[in-house]
Amino acid sequence: MRNRTKRKLILFGALVAILLLAAIFAQVISPYDPNLQNYEIALQPPSFAHPFGTDRYGRDMLSRVIAGAQTSIFSTLLLVAVISVFGTLIGVACGYLGGLFDGVVMRISDICLAFPGLVFALAIAAVLNGGIQNAVLALAAISWPKYARLARSQTLSMKNADYMMAARLSGNTPLKMIVRHILPNITGPVLVTAMLDIGTMMMEIAALSFLGLGAKPPTAEWGSMMSGGRSMLQTYPWVVLTPGVAIFISVVLFNLLGDTIRDYLDPRSTHGK
Amino acid sequence: MEPLLEVKNLTKVFEGRKQEEFAAVNQVSFSLYPHETLGIVGESGSGKSTVVKAITRLIDVSEGELLLHGQDITHVKGKKLREAYRRFQMVFQSAAGSFDPRRTLGDGIGESLRNSGISRKETKERVKELLMQCGLPKEYADRYPHEVSGGQCQRAAIARALAIRPEILICDEATSALDVTVQKQIIQLLKNLQKTYGMSYLFICHDLALVQLFCDRVLVMQEGRIVEEGTPNEIIMHPQTDYTKQLVEAVL
Repeated sequence: MRNRTKRKLILFGALVAILLLAAIFAQVISPYDPNLQNYEIALQPPSFAHPFGTDRYGRDMLSRVIAGAQTSIFSTLLLVAVISVFGTLIGVACGYLGGLFDGVVMRISDICLAFPGLVFALAIAAVLNGGIQNAVLALAAISWPKYARLARSQTLSMKNADYMMAARLSGNTPLKMIVRHILPNITGPVLVTAMLDIGTMMMEIAALSFLGLGAKPPTAEWGSMMSGGRSMLQTYPWVVLTPGVAIFISVVLFNLLGDTIRDYLDPRSTHGK
Repeated sequence: MEPLLEVKNLTKVFEGRKQEEFAAVNQVSFSLYPHETLGIVGESGSGKSTVVKAITRLIDVSEGELLLHGQDITHVKGKKLREAYRRFQMVFQSAAGSFDPRRTLGDGIGESLRNSGISRKETKERVKELLMQCGLPKEYADRYPHEVSGGQCQRAAIARALAIRPEILICDEATSALDVTVQKQIIQLLKNLQKTYGMSYLFICHDLALVQLFCDRVLVMQEGRIVEEGTPNEIIMHPQTDYTKQLVEAVL
């Protein structure tokens, strides 16, 4: 059981690593400049010279998909990092301090959770005026409550454990209690949630871009590339399908990796220690 | 003689559902004197542990007063409470559960020292000394709580409680989870440490035999109240209440 999980972890870890490397070295590995226009070769089907074909401005689709990986994956990772860190800190503070602060913050998080996420993000992104940074900001503004709730419940459940009481007797200030004893004990569940969230967040960023509120042209981003080729789905399908498949593959990969990490860290799965 | 710790009319009320109130500790008063070992006995649910949690301010006090060296600590918070914690420490029933599972025993033992501004290097030395004093090899500083046995972990917990040289050591069923031989060793260790440092002990226990062996004075608790007080021999030989008689008979 453990060996199987371990093998899966290595396999999916390696595949995600390839994806990340491709994103990091996008400029090096793209065969063409992703923004170079050449109307003479516009909308060519896949060929040896252009494996993914070209779009309506004659830009090489393979290069654009690789460049899009950089935008999509890095903005997703940034988003997930921001909301998991920020949300966890808020949740731990709520759980540990309790009282009025907890009440007010949790009601705000209730409001965020009661709203359809993408609609709320659309509103914020529209007010902030598009752009990939603003899309990340908008999604962060509505996605933190999940982590805050998780961290809060974890904090509450361990707050009265004997070792927490012993730590209080050792003269720890509330800040030290949080940094030394609570945070290290809740990183596991938060990390798993974050890994599983990467896929969702990637799709939400792509969705915002698809709706024109994310990356602005000519920046290559999978969601906006699909949006740009939307009208040509029947005539020149590769313009839409290549970024679509790229989103599909990376979301599936990140989800599989997240699942495997959860299995690996789950104490109930049958492995020693 | 001036008492170290005075507990006056201590009451802890828990609110249940439907607003009904339950007094786990009801108007408890007693004093703890220097160099004394005071036992508190009683069956489960008699409020022993609630008394110590209230004294250590790990839970809030509903009514009454706690005086440490004549200073009121009933409602102190923050820095003042942390100063009070330098005068009394506690050993918990579940030794393994009282150490953070993600930190080494040495980390836990040295924590109070680090918090009182002692350097990392000196703390390390002191932790080693403390471990050896409590009968553990100094290498145990790098072990995690799940890597040692219950008795060894309780020794480490005692080392942690001793680290800042408290005047009062509260043992909440500190030996109940251990088997009989280990229990004896721990009691012996506690006795030796008292000789060395002259601490006062507040010893919570449900085992009268152990109390007789160890305590100078005993309080008997029933349903949140103190029903009897005296030396262990008085209480065991001439119990005044039916409840105490039952407790004594249960041992025999």
